[in-house]
Amino acid sequence: MSAVNIWEKMLNVDRRWIFLGIGIVSIVPFLIGFGMPITTTIEVEGIFDYVDELGPDDAIFIGFDFAPGTQAENMPMAVAVMRHAFHNRIPVFMTAYVPLGKGMAVAALDYVTNPKTDGYYERVLFEDWADYREAGITNKEELTAAWESDGNVLSEGAAGWVFEGRDYVLLGYLPLFHLVILGMTGSIETQFPVDYHNNPIGGMPILMEHKSLREVDLALTTSGSAACTAWITYAREKIGLPIAFGVTGVMATDYFPYIQSGQIVGQMGGLRGAAEYEVLLKENGITRTTGKAFRGMDVQSAAHIFIILLIIMGNIAFFAGGFHKKTRLKGRR
Amino acid sequence: MKRTVPLMIVMVGGILMMVQYFIPHQYSQVILDNYVEWAPIVGAFALILGVGSLTRLHTHKIRRKAKNWQYSWAVLIPLFGMPFFALIVPQSLGGGSEVHGVHDFLFMHIQVPIQSTMFSLLAFYIASAAFRAFRAKSALATILLLAAVIVMLGQVPIGDVLGKWLPNTGLWILRYPNLAAKRAIMLGVGFGMLATNLKIIFGVERNWLGGAGK
Amino acid sequence: MYDTIGIWVGAFFTLAIYSFLYKENPVYRLAEHLVVGISLGYTMVLIYNSVILPKLLEPIFAGNHLILIIPGLLGLLYITRFIPSIAWLSRYPIAFIMGTAMGVAFPLTMKAYVLRQLEAAMVPLYSSGMPWYEVFGNIVMIFGTLAALIYFFFSKPHKGLFFGTGSKIGIWVIMLGFGATFGFTVMGRISLLIGRIQYLLGDWLHLIE
Repeated sequence: MSAVNIWEKMLNVDRRWIFLGIGIVSIVPFLIGFGMPITTTIEVEGIFDYVDELGPDDAIFIGFDFAPGTQAENMPMAVAVMRHAFHNRIPVFMTAYVPLGKGMAVAALDYVTNPKTDGYYERVLFEDWADYREAGITNKEELTAAWESDGNVLSEGAAGWVFEGRDYVLLGYLPLFHLVILGMTGSIETQFPVDYHNNPIGGMPILMEHKSLREVDLALTTSGSAACTAWITYAREKIGLPIAFGVTGVMATDYFPYIQSGQIVGQMGGLRGAAEYEVLLKENGITRTTGKAFRGMDVQSAAHIFIILLIIMGNIAFFAGGFHKKTRLKGRR
Repeated sequence: MKRTVPLMIVMVGGILMMVQYFIPHQYSQVILDNYVEWAPIVGAFALILGVGSLTRLHTHKIRRKAKNWQYSWAVLIPLFGMPFFALIVPQSLGGGSEVHGVHDFLFMHIQVPIQSTMFSLLAFYIASAAFRAFRAKSALATILLLAAVIVMLGQVPIGDVLGKWLPNTGLWILRYPNLAAKRAIMLGVGFGMLATNLKIIFGVERNWLGGAGK
Repeated sequence: MYDTIGIWVGAFFTLAIYSFLYKENPVYRLAEHLVVGISLGYTMVLIYNSVILPKLLEPIFAGNHLILIIPGLLGLLYITRFIPSIAWLSRYPIAFIMGTAMGVAFPLTMKAYVLRQLEAAMVPLYSSGMPWYEVFGNIVMIFGTLAALIYFFFSKPHKGLFFGTGSKIGIWVIMLGFGATFGFTVMGRISLLIGRIQYLLGDWLHLIE
């Protein structure tokens, strides 16, 4: 067998072997668990520091502007910022730019309030604290004190209470969402008369204190498409609302101009961005452990090395086999 | 009525909303407020087009017994099953009404895994493409390849282990040359969008009229 | 029980999709069709619950927002698309949305995509205490943007000092940008796979956290 044939055979290897290789490098590091440390970048620190400065009198939006296809990247970002907000008692509005994003918002909220999640938040539904509202108790401190004095005990392992309509509201999805963003610069309630449980949002303390996007302090858009730019065009440029991006790796490089121009306060790019936020949460004592994004970074390292090796091997075979010379070029290469 | 009036609506609506931005008057704001309240309502009905077309396509396939027609049931049954279980029979598998309902189950345990997995298939294909197509055939291709490799290593923890220069160089590429390229593209896209907006408003671009008769 | 069955069903469909890597097969085809039906069915429910009911029917039947009948009727005109003789009526709701949306977008797009970007491209190359790589970076950023713009300028032949050299530098800068994008694309695709592996090994098999 001539040398050229070896290179040719190598280049014509059944791609299912490559698939198997990528499958193996994506599984093994999970079972071993290296836990390599991650350094944080100013792009992610920008968001963390901004959110960390906010408090109970402020409010943020988290846009679940992605479909299930990119949830592996976008979900940890949204979850990390939601936990940060809940910890600092910052009220959170949740919206969705795409229909299936509403389902993602529900899933994120379920995860953060699920007793199986480490450091979860115990959720109190809007109707469950109606009596306190009617008695005029809407301040978080007073509400928590009154709620607990009535015999409600925070479960062991829970990080705190979150009251629907006080600490968060899930608004959901509306068609032509870029125009909905524009509409919310005037009034949130006109756009979303009810939340996803069909509770009228007009009676919610969170809305009474933040009637429009002008009274909101940050919008984080977690997105797997160009939907995130709508927040810049229709909220940032219209009323100056600070925006943060949590975008998939595929799109992250496109938005560096927005960081340098100051149109966004920061950006989480791909799973790495989410992992950085998780590290910041842990380092600052907001969560006890890092989350799914950080745990995935070992695999990310292994897979990148594997793909770089594939590139090198592909090039060696290509040049050593002489396929770069036109006369030797065969087949589809 | 068929073409001129829609074109007039576009032009008047477009100019009105464009001018509205520059007139910070109360009446001007009222126009915008009403518009943004109405637009999602009108837009919501566009779903009829999607549902109608999909239903027509798949009922057609079933009736004609076209190739793989059996799978059309897998589209039609959940398409109408979802609203049926959510709005008409919202009873759940666990006793409640919303959480753990059939509608919720179909979304969380079928839609989400399928869609996530379909996207993740791309990991396999990009690995295969890296082996078969990513060649340093010219100086420019080599630059692209080197930038890609540095950024790939710089973005993962192992990059830090291999040397601090890797993530630093990767970030420098992202923050400066990458930014320059993307800003140039962004400016091009921006001008393109503005030109398209004007072409639609002034009736130069009419493709949106579609094939609904002359 | 609900969750357990759900995770097993999810795992089944995850593996069904991965079976495509070996060979196209009927289970994959079934999953592919299901996803279309479910997503549109989900959207139908959502549109009814978040728009048709609270923003249209309830206000109209409450009697205080009768004017909403106008957008309601306008929206209904979409149906005419399926009746060939009056299909042209469906252009009216499209025209309403299209024209106004373009008008609203124009000044804001100008700001977001053009003016702010031009403003941000005008930065001082050097200020005291700036490390060399930032100074060099600023030079690359400013002249790189200009060069890349020259490369995209097709009304003049790419010859001579300005257009010729400019476009050559431009393509180098663009290649560095595309290289970075490729690197991030690989990262993104792998991340999506990581999500599924975590689901299979963690949620389903409980082998990892």
